[in-house]
Amino acid sequence: MSEANTQALARYKNNFLKEVEERVEDGQWVKMCMQCGVCAGSCPFGPHWEHSPQKIFMMIRAGKREEVLTSDSMWMCTSCYNCIVRCPRKLPITHIMHGLANYANRLGLVPKGQPTRDIAVLFWKNVVKNGRVNEMTFSLAMYFRDGLGQGIKNAMAMKDIGLGLMKAKRLNPMEIFGGHTCKDKSGLQRMIAKAREIEDKRRGLA
Amino acid sequence: MTASIATNPTILVVGGGIAGMTAALEAAECGKQVILAEKSPTLGGRTSMLYRYFPKMCHPTCGLEINLKRIRGNPNVRVMTMTEVAAVSGTRGDYTVTLKIKPRYVNENCTACGDCGKAVTTEVPNTFNYGLDKVKAAYLPHAMAYPQRYVIDPSIVGTADGEAAKAACKYGAVDLAMQEQTVELKVGSIVWATGWRPYDANRIQPYGYDRYQNVITSVEFERLCDPRGPTGGKILRPSDGKEAKNIAFIQCAGSRDENHLRHCSRICCMATLKQTMYVREIDPTAKSTVYYIDIRVIDRLEDFYQDVQKDPNVSFVKSKVARIALNEANGNPILHGVNTEGYHRYANEHDLVVLAIGMEPEVAGVKLPDDIILDSSKFIEGSKSAGMFGAGSAASPLDVNRAVQSATAAALRAVQVIHKTASTEAA
Amino acid sequence: MADNKFAAYICSGCGIGDILDVAKLERVAKVEGKMQIIKTHPFLCNEEGVKMIRDDIANEGVTHVCIAACSRRAKVEAFSFPTVALSRANLREGVIWAVAEGSEHDEVRQEMAEDYVRMSCAEVKKMTVPAGNVKESSSRKILVVGGGMSGMTAAKAAADAGYEVVLVEKTGQLGGFANQMWKRMPFNAPYAEAQPTGAAELAAELSAHPKVKIYLNSTVAETAGAPGRFKVKIAAESGSVSEELCGAIVQASGFTTYPLEKLPELGGGQPNVVDQAGLEALAKAANGGPIKRPDGKEVKSVVFIQCAGQRDDSGTHLPYCSGHCCGTSIKQAMYFKDQNPDIDTVVMYTDLRVPGMGEDFYRSAQRKGVIFTKGKASKVTGGDTCKVEFKDLILDEDTATEADLVVLATGQVPNAGVNLDEWTATVTAAESGDEAAKTKKAELQKISVLNLNYRQGPDMPQLKYGFADSHFICFPYETRRTGIYAAGPMRRPMDMFQAQEDATGAALKAIQAAENAALGRAAHPRAWDLSFPKARLEGCTQCKRCTVECPFGAIDEDEKRFPVFNEERCRRCGTCMGACPVRVISFENYSCDTVGMQVKAVEVPDEDEEKPRILILACENDAYPAIDMAGMQRHTYSAFVRVIPVRCLGSVNTIWITDALNSGYDGVMMMGCQKGENYQCHFVKGSEMAYYRLGKVGDTMKGMGLEPERMQTYEIAITDGARVAKLINDYVAQLNELGPSPMKGFG
Repeated sequence: MSEANTQALARYKNNFLKEVEERVEDGQWVKMCMQCGVCAGSCPFGPHWEHSPQKIFMMIRAGKREEVLTSDSMWMCTSCYNCIVRCPRKLPITHIMHGLANYANRLGLVPKGQPTRDIAVLFWKNVVKNGRVNEMTFSLAMYFRDGLGQGIKNAMAMKDIGLGLMKAKRLNPMEIFGGHTCKDKSGLQRMIAKAREIEDKRRGLA
Repeated sequence: MTASIATNPTILVVGGGIAGMTAALEAAECGKQVILAEKSPTLGGRTSMLYRYFPKMCHPTCGLEINLKRIRGNPNVRVMTMTEVAAVSGTRGDYTVTLKIKPRYVNENCTACGDCGKAVTTEVPNTFNYGLDKVKAAYLPHAMAYPQRYVIDPSIVGTADGEAAKAACKYGAVDLAMQEQTVELKVGSIVWATGWRPYDANRIQPYGYDRYQNVITSVEFERLCDPRGPTGGKILRPSDGKEAKNIAFIQCAGSRDENHLRHCSRICCMATLKQTMYVREIDPTAKSTVYYIDIRVIDRLEDFYQDVQKDPNVSFVKSKVARIALNEANGNPILHGVNTEGYHRYANEHDLVVLAIGMEPEVAGVKLPDDIILDSSKFIEGSKSAGMFGAGSAASPLDVNRAVQSATAAALRAVQVIHKTASTEAA
Repeated sequence: MADNKFAAYICSGCGIGDILDVAKLERVAKVEGKMQIIKTHPFLCNEEGVKMIRDDIANEGVTHVCIAACSRRAKVEAFSFPTVALSRANLREGVIWAVAEGSEHDEVRQEMAEDYVRMSCAEVKKMTVPAGNVKESSSRKILVVGGGMSGMTAAKAAADAGYEVVLVEKTGQLGGFANQMWKRMPFNAPYAEAQPTGAAELAAELSAHPKVKIYLNSTVAETAGAPGRFKVKIAAESGSVSEELCGAIVQASGFTTYPLEKLPELGGGQPNVVDQAGLEALAKAANGGPIKRPDGKEVKSVVFIQCAGQRDDSGTHLPYCSGHCCGTSIKQAMYFKDQNPDIDTVVMYTDLRVPGMGEDFYRSAQRKGVIFTKGKASKVTGGDTCKVEFKDLILDEDTATEADLVVLATGQVPNAGVNLDEWTATVTAAESGDEAAKTKKAELQKISVLNLNYRQGPDMPQLKYGFADSHFICFPYETRRTGIYAAGPMRRPMDMFQAQEDATGAALKAIQAAENAALGRAAHPRAWDLSFPKARLEGCTQCKRCTVECPFGAIDEDEKRFPVFNEERCRRCGTCMGACPVRVISFENYSCDTVGMQVKAVEVPDEDEEKPRILILACENDAYPAIDMAGMQRHTYSAFVRVIPVRCLGSVNTIWITDALNSGYDGVMMMGCQKGENYQCHFVKGSEMAYYRLGKVGDTMKGMGLEPERMQTYEIAITDGARVAKLINDYVAQLNELGPSPMKGFG
């Protein structure tokens, strides 16, 4: 269990709703849900997840902290915004789902190997490093995240697409050596670190 | 002595539906002078377009007959149809009202013999049946229309058909030269009983009312079930005229929704339960499925809900339907959503979908006197000058019984204004 | 009366003159109808035609007018001559529009029209213009029983309209249940916050109101009389009795809360489990500070359980929903949240019922952090920490939660006084000497609110579950005790806003009743009718049928057991007239004779003519309009029927039927409204009475050697235009198979 999680448990005891309201982006909207279920029916990923947004909200109110934070449901959101458009209470459901995913990640509660999370983490690291996405390193990091053998297999499977992209000048193999960066990338990194610090403070995660 | 307040002992009631008729009659039967102004050609309003009432399953026209008899027999009520309020000025006890009277093209000589209707060939959408069928352009709005006088649709004025109507009338009742009139009058108090209208179903995009023929509204369904309606009381679905056997009712269509109407329209749950009874009456084998968030039937109406729950052909799904798709092959709507009681995803095919459409104040979007106080849904709470009152579903989304109760209360408030201004003047 | 002058006016417009032989109708009116003036006009309802009639009334001294034109439901304003007796022969909707076109029907159609002219002439001759009965001394004072929110509102509403008010409250203080409340739900936009009840302010206004007289610590010991002259004895706790003369009554006797002890499974009776009233008391005691339990501990978590002992289909608890409790729990949860947002508040519901603008109030509570759980509680254990076991319906699991306090949203039980069914049974048993019944009668008397000295019992009839509600959707104030109106939660479970609306409406009805009683006018549904039953008591056999059957308890008995008719209580339905076996009861314009003579006026063809005659007695509110609409919509029916509208099937005297059958009619159709639980009859049981009485006619018919099919009773709705035409045609076919009545020629 992460330290952040231990600290959160101690702080909020059984009041998971309050924890969500204070620490999850747009979490203060959760209490406004009236359990109509239109979000659940509107989500194109509906058949693939465990809990619908409306059910997640109910679980939050029922204090099912671990179940919610370890759920894969919020990781499935593709930001299509169907739920937001239809919600009769105008809950920013998409944002709450991302907020929950982010929070679960911060607490280290995401099940190991959660693919969306892994991609998101790789992507984030990649983009923070140089201030821009390096497609080459990002792709390779993804292929090899399950080890060398699997990485080679993945790369071989994707080689035609990779070559095609190179031919179309959409992918530069030279980028593997670091690639180009944005101006003042350390400034950017400091900025991000500061933003995170402010946000953590605001959310009581510091 | 108070400064002379010009007073007028007359009460104006705006709207001739059941609330307006009630407010007018209750005040008139206390001995007060009342003008009852209705914008359509007949009194009766939306209740006259209902097939039956919940929970007794009795006929609204039964009460209408009594109310019309009261009006016919009461010299204190002056009925003005085709009349709308254009402006109000002044204050409590002393309002000046401008009324606009649209031409009916038929005068009081009309005996309702029907010869003009036989003479014309043009047909216009039948508003009594929410446009589901057509009527002749010279028509009696419905069998119990009051005044019992024909109306000529403006579209045939100046045409050969209009002249044919005029020629057919032996009594000189057709007057094609009638013009819109404006009259001004003084009243002491005004009761706004302007009623409601069904919310525009086209705006609820995921339900495809504008795209799918077999998605209709609850007010239209009411007409389908009525033997006096366009299908003679058969539930024939619009796409192919087949009898519907598997009907979905979607609650809160527009209501309880901040994208549409933020209020709960109160009547729709009971209206739907009542309509499942129609289905049972018309075809005992047909199935009804009610998709709901909360079933809101209060007081002893609960009995009715419990009765319907016992019907094996009616099922309830706790779900706000997410969207409707179309089975192109048979025209059936397919409802997609999740039953939230335990999370069960469904894609249910029905042959007809009825949207339990929300109530919007008829005056929403209409310019009312500045004096009037509206709530966030445009229902009338009262007036700053305290001499104008909302009544019935103009004041709040109400069922008929409560609308009449509200109208009776509004009548007393108007009587109080008349009394107070009169006694102030006398002092 | 030597001065009577009879006139018949026949309209030949709307096709009447084209289809019928009007000259023959004139002859019938003259020769058989014995009319002294007979005029035909091509357009009787226009200005000129109406003027012609008016002139005859003014100049020729016409006192009785028969109009042979359209239905009595059409052109009512044109043919309104209040100073003369008026009958209408329905030649348009009832003949030319009702009988199929074509010359093969000419003869029977003409015969039908002639009969209607005969009937109309016969009827009008037996009518007189109701004189009305203005009572100079009539009281317009309004009695309000109950000084809670509803009663106070009704009192203020009537007083502000200029009427004297007497307000009787059994406790020492006005305010009722509202005095126990901390706050009320909001009545206006934005519907976001609980509001002060305003009870104290209203009480103060009433105490200072020059038109209002308040009796505290007092109850109504007796109510005698009728609208306009209610003699009300008001007994004070001290023992003194005052008397007030009142014109009309608003009963606002409120409710009690369903007893917590009846809900042991939900913790009723256990510590730290309260009902909503109990929570109001705790909130009031806290006065805006932290709400504490009776043991002094601050409440940090609370669970509200909705529908506690309500919406119960097992027969154990209240079957109905009290309507206000979801809103009330929301309001009470706000008490906690407003004081300290960290207090856990959970509202456990199955359907959250906040109709209308209540949705805004619901949202407001959610914004404040009140948690709403769709769930059904199965068990509550009280104690220092209460445990609520429930099924979470969304998460589909049996689970439990804990709280410092549990609030049960129990229902409203009406205080409507004595249940009259129970009363009647008890009185009957007591009269036959049952000692237990005598004790029970005394007990019942104690719970009576009005103590009416009416023969039919001391309180208003109750509709269902003890509420004294109206049975009618269109007429929520249609009461079964004329001039007495129920208001507030004794009429129907309701919240304070509804109660105040209701009380304001009830005040209007009371004012109206007092005004109309003074003018001798009937109350709804025959509003403003001036006719009134008169009884020739010298013929009365004291059979008591009229007193028992009057749906409005209008008839009492004197010491000699003769009926005493209370005009101001009467609704003019004629049920007494129908009930009277010796036919001594009649109205000026509606009597055994006005109908009886119509029955007799019809020309009944001989057996060999193969023209059956069928009498239809049709309720004027539903069946008669339905028959009219059959004509208007050209659902043609047989020309062998003769329709007579009646005020109510309950007013049908069996003599009309036996007379008809005796004089050779082949059949009688009785058309009334739906009976049973969802009855439509505005005179309560007219249709049912008719069925009951006609059961007895059946025996007479057997004696006469008549087949039972010759008399049929139907339930007809006003919308039954097409159906009624079919019923008539089917019945004619049935009678044709049966053959002519064996009574023909004996009549």
